[in-house]
Amino acid sequence: MALMGAALVAWWMLPSVTMAPNRIVPGTAYAASEVAGWGAAILASLPLAVAAWLARDLDRQRLKALLALVVVGLVGLPLWLTAASVQLVDPNLPQARIGIGAGLWLTLFMLLLALVELRTRLVLPSPVTWGVALLPLVVFVLCLPLGLDGLALWQEYAGRRDDFVAAIGEHLLLVGATVAISLVVGAVIALLMRRYPRVQRLGFSLLNFLQTVPSLALFGLLLGPLAWLSDRYAWLDSLGVSGIGWAPALIALVAYSLLPMVRNTFVALEGVDPGVVESARGMGMSRLQSFLQVRLPLALPVLLEGVRITTVQAIGLTAVAALIGAGGLGRFIFQGLGQAAMDLVLLGALPILLMAVVADALLGNLANRLRKGEPT
Amino acid sequence: MIELIHISKRFGDTAAVDDISLKVESGEFCVVVGTSGCGKSTTLRMINRLIEHSDGEIHIDSQPIRSFREEQLRRRIGYAIQSTGLFPHWTVARNIGLVPRLLKWPKARIDARVEELLTLLGLSGSEFAGKYPSQLSGGQAQRVGVARALAANPDILLMDEPFGALDPITRETLQVELRQLQTRLGKTIVFVTHDMDEALRLADRLVVMQDGRIVQQGHPLTLLREPVNDFVASMLGGEDRGLKEAALLPVSERMSPLGVGGVARERIDQGASLREALSIMLWRRVECLAVVDDGDIPIGELSFRRLVGARGHE
Repeated sequence: MALMGAALVAWWMLPSVTMAPNRIVPGTAYAASEVAGWGAAILASLPLAVAAWLARDLDRQRLKALLALVVVGLVGLPLWLTAASVQLVDPNLPQARIGIGAGLWLTLFMLLLALVELRTRLVLPSPVTWGVALLPLVVFVLCLPLGLDGLALWQEYAGRRDDFVAAIGEHLLLVGATVAISLVVGAVIALLMRRYPRVQRLGFSLLNFLQTVPSLALFGLLLGPLAWLSDRYAWLDSLGVSGIGWAPALIALVAYSLLPMVRNTFVALEGVDPGVVESARGMGMSRLQSFLQVRLPLALPVLLEGVRITTVQAIGLTAVAALIGAGGLGRFIFQGLGQAAMDLVLLGALPILLMAVVADALLGNLANRLRKGEPT
Repeated sequence: MIELIHISKRFGDTAAVDDISLKVESGEFCVVVGTSGCGKSTTLRMINRLIEHSDGEIHIDSQPIRSFREEQLRRRIGYAIQSTGLFPHWTVARNIGLVPRLLKWPKARIDARVEELLTLLGLSGSEFAGKYPSQLSGGQAQRVGVARALAANPDILLMDEPFGALDPITRETLQVELRQLQTRLGKTIVFVTHDMDEALRLADRLVVMQDGRIVQQGHPLTLLREPVNDFVASMLGGEDRGLKEAALLPVSERMSPLGVGGVARERIDQGASLREALSIMLWRRVECLAVVDDGDIPIGELSFRRLVGARGHE
């Protein structure tokens, strides 16, 4: 597999870690061979080389061996970081930190890609894949007391532990509210569209238009009207509605979420085999019964697909909402950008990434489960 | 008994069904044939009010169908369609138990009924009850469709090209089974198809429709022998009508007593059709067949002249 070759190249050519005495100074880059000496670097690249060699000619046995090597690689990465941290960070400089270099990132990326590939080839059950994918995270946490706390990412986190937890809470709350509201509103719109063809044309063009407005512009556009409203009606103000903050963020997020939600709900409901619905009616089911017992359950997998897309999209967009004071993990990203502290940006971005991946997998899984009885 | 009295159905300005009258007696197997778009499916769906008729009256057992609540009416009438309409997310057992559940039968009674119907349609309950429709073959799914239509023991069955999507062999098997089922259960059946062989095989009463009107109705043999116009004649097979008629007549109808000259070598069952007899003659290149009873005992003979119904003595 070319993947392993690429990982090897990345491992040797690009800096493995960076080291900086404090946050402001750009770090010095160290290649893998400089971190722990040539011997250790070659030893560390052995699994990759063996994997590349194995990949020339694949059978089931070799695929399993490859999987084992990928696991070794994934577990090895945090260990490597720990070693580098112990080696390079000067214990006398409390602000000193170690950054993850491009080589390490790429190696991680390639290993994960290899894992995805192996998963489809070996038809791994999803718990196994998840277990393997989460391994480095577990090892990472275990390594923290061993010296990995020199990692810049960890230092940023340690500096704002409470803030971080609060931000995750805000982020999840905003995403949850967005998905819940757009699900209800989207369902109502989709139902109206099914009944009145005119609503359908108008609705879709409006929602399509909304989708094309840049998110930042939409946040900006809402600023004026909401500020005016909260000024005028005291009860809105007391609720916390104002030109900035969660209110405009929520409105904008819902506006963006409506298109995928409505489209999927509509398509899901329309896509049910008309013969099935007709026979439901012909058998003597009432309208409500045939909707609740036949049309809705059959539409559910596609409908959930809409929820999945919406959720993933909302998780990403909520990051932008931090700009208008809605909080969430986006805050760290923008703070980091402002202070040119890349590790702070990562502190915001990585959990968002993780959240999106987990939400995607969970909802996708749920949808698959609901497709019972259908040919797969 | 189903009665359609001067029924019309208009969609906007076009009449899909135009002033038709039809009476289907209890226990009668009525097959409606016609080209696509002739209004036969519309007619069928008006009977269970999936489509409301515009003019006229439809009576079931002498009561106008509009005197019933829609759902109540439909639960009394079995309904089976081409795509089977089975719910893909329900098991076979749950599909079959649909109408009994709507009628709020107790659970034990529903279970017993499902089991009974699966057996009736030649499906083993233990094997099929828990399966989903996607796990069934076309023929099995269609059997389940029929079982579901029969579930609440309705007097009337409406079937809209139920065997249309099946391969010829499965289709023929199911036709034979349906015919036997009908004889056994005495249901009143209205069956829509465009397959003339299917229609002739099943019908007690054959109804030919064209452009929303009934062109001719009656016993299949009557229509074969005395079509009112060229359309009916061509619908019934044109020059093939001779063979189609032969397919409806049993050998026993034309056979003669055993001759003195010994028994012919090729045999045919007395219940077989004249068409089968003709086919054997053509295939074996013989002019006379021995007719045997169920025990394979010769009881008569059938000559080519007798088969074609030529008058006079041989």
